[in-house]
Amino acid sequence: MKRLYNQSHRKQQQQAAYAFVLPAVLLLFTFLILPAFSTIGYSLTDYNIMRPDKISFVALENFRELIHDENFRKALRNIIHFTVFVVPYQCLLALALLTNVKLKGASVFRAAYFSPMVTSMVVIAILWSVLYNPNPNQGLINAFLTSFGIGPAAFLTSPKRAMNSIVFMSGWQAAGYQMMIFVAGLQGIPQDQYEAASIDGAGKLQQFFYITLPGLKNIIKYVIMITTIQAMKLFTQPYVMTQGGPQNATRTFVYYIYQQGFQSRNFGYACAVAAVFFLIVVTMSFLLKRIIKAN
Amino acid sequence: MKRQIGTGLAVLAAISMTACSSSGGTGAADTSGGSKTEGEVKQIVLWGPSSEPAVETWWTETINAFNEQYAGQYELSRESIVRSNSYAYEDKINSAITSHDLPDILMLDGPNVASYAANGIIIPLDSYVAQEDKDDLVASSLEQNTYNGSLYAMSNTESSVALFYNKDMVEAAQIQVPDKLEDAWTWSEFYEAAKKLTTDSVAGTNIIMDKGEGIPYVMEQFWISNGTDFTNPEGSKADGYLNSEKGIEAADFLNSLIQDGLANIEPIPKEFHNGKAATALTGCWEVKTLNNEYPDLNWGVTYFPVADDGTSSSPTGDWTMTITVDSQDPEAAAAALNFLTSKENAASYADAQGKPPARKSSYDVLSQYDEMPMAIFKEQLLNTGHARPRTPSYTVLSPQISEAMMNIFTGADVRESLDKAAEAFDKDFEKNYAQ
Repeated sequence: MKRLYNQSHRKQQQQAAYAFVLPAVLLLFTFLILPAFSTIGYSLTDYNIMRPDKISFVALENFRELIHDENFRKALRNIIHFTVFVVPYQCLLALALLTNVKLKGASVFRAAYFSPMVTSMVVIAILWSVLYNPNPNQGLINAFLTSFGIGPAAFLTSPKRAMNSIVFMSGWQAAGYQMMIFVAGLQGIPQDQYEAASIDGAGKLQQFFYITLPGLKNIIKYVIMITTIQAMKLFTQPYVMTQGGPQNATRTFVYYIYQQGFQSRNFGYACAVAAVFFLIVVTMSFLLKRIIKAN
Repeated sequence: MKRQIGTGLAVLAAISMTACSSSGGTGAADTSGGSKTEGEVKQIVLWGPSSEPAVETWWTETINAFNEQYAGQYELSRESIVRSNSYAYEDKINSAITSHDLPDILMLDGPNVASYAANGIIIPLDSYVAQEDKDDLVASSLEQNTYNGSLYAMSNTESSVALFYNKDMVEAAQIQVPDKLEDAWTWSEFYEAAKKLTTDSVAGTNIIMDKGEGIPYVMEQFWISNGTDFTNPEGSKADGYLNSEKGIEAADFLNSLIQDGLANIEPIPKEFHNGKAATALTGCWEVKTLNNEYPDLNWGVTYFPVADDGTSSSPTGDWTMTITVDSQDPEAAAAALNFLTSKENAASYADAQGKPPARKSSYDVLSQYDEMPMAIFKEQLLNTGHARPRTPSYTVLSPQISEAMMNIFTGADVRESLDKAAEAFDKDFEKNYAQ
């Protein structure tokens, strides 16, 4: 009898669990999974936004075009350039900013470093466009450089420098976020480990390598993963600051998807780019996970 | 247990309801969907970009007047959509196209008319608009609003661009500024003047209005003036036009202004207004801004520069009103459209907008166009105005040209950049609109 009760109780609990999960699953399905599948579906058509009633199936035509699309390849190179530079820079900068020292006022610095993160990227991008202005009468950085007899330098209007300029400002903007996660991680490392180590005669450097780093291992993995994925989705900075230029130097995947889908209205083609982009991001995160695991 | 499931379902219902209401949260749900009959009164809906207070007042008053005149028969309402500098307005239209929720009357920017007409989103107005009203449109508006021989849009306003100059700087440099259309500066004269006016802290001129539509809008004149255009007259081919020898000359000239340091590639906003540029190729709407917000600036306006052996040309084009294919009663929509673009209303609208009217008759009423500086815009509009290419692929042409010009200004090969833009346009036209 008791066993029977237990069984039916468990069943009830299971049902309740499903009922609670259902809303989340339904929402995720409607707004994430379904659109993802329709993206793949549309990538096989010639969908033009202006003619939603005249969609025809073109099989892999969009993907065939994509292989020969110079802009697509350039976008791939650009996003690799951005990711390869911004991820280490941002994470190292975050570590450098670590304000985990027990000093009065450390929290003030922490808030200051974090503040660009709470500001809208659009605002920051406009601000940096002004700072980067090539005319020394109008751009703060060039005014500074020229007063030392250097420059003026074209930051956003030089195809060679534009992406690096975006890397620099993006790292500055976001490092506070990574810093915050690191700080939280550091505070999670038990203090007695440090005490034990210092009693055993370990120096600061040894403490860092044998306690801090291993203690932060999972946090570092997480930070590198999310920073990489975020970096690959770069859009706002080129959209506001360079419109993908000069000479294609800052056109990223997401920006190209936007241009194809909304400016040129070739939605089918934009979906094909999005589908390939999705594959690339998934593969990248998978590889990254394995590399990190191996180390 | 039942209670648990019940709670779960209630949560689900609540969530799905908020999800639904937020998707229609723009208020579109109540007003979109073409005309609806309520009793005897037919509802007419108009979408347009939101505007400054003077224009908003015009809308309220004019719509009230219409509803009074047609009381019991029609009722017009307007939904204003914030546009700013983004494509939010176009995005909203695009989603309404997909769901067949377009309003009866849709306002469109001039160069987009051809694209919406070619895709069957707006309907021809030939049978709804009187010949007399059609004939009253200035040539550039008629050109802009016509596609494949049919009229698709009516306009109240036009636009024009001329060369604004800082009087103090020009006088200090002892430069004579032309005051007659036939004396307008040639490119060489414009270049020389800009060179003389350039100092360490002031740019000689400003040719980049913005890095989007502003580039094709202003720069097309350099092509036209030099005897070519961005596309062929049919708007079906750019190769051999945009990248023709004459076109390359035009791009070379514009590039020389940037490369020789006479104009900034990244001008600060309102560079001319703030005395950081001695001259600027910019729009008639700046007159109002300069008068209201920069009363200390001593400025004047002269004609758009002309190619050394070329003809005069100046930019035109502004927002229009169209009737969409989703309108269930085009007769009703046409009554409203004709009311909103009537002689009297066109003149008062243009006055509120501070833009040159698109109807010839409005110039009889608005005396400011007989005086400087507005007289220049009227003169250019009536004599040298050209509509932008009327091609359904304009949505590709415009960003391609902006991109090509910015590439050229940052050192890319001129011919190569124009070839690429022409190829992209031709490909899009071929793919989507070629018969």
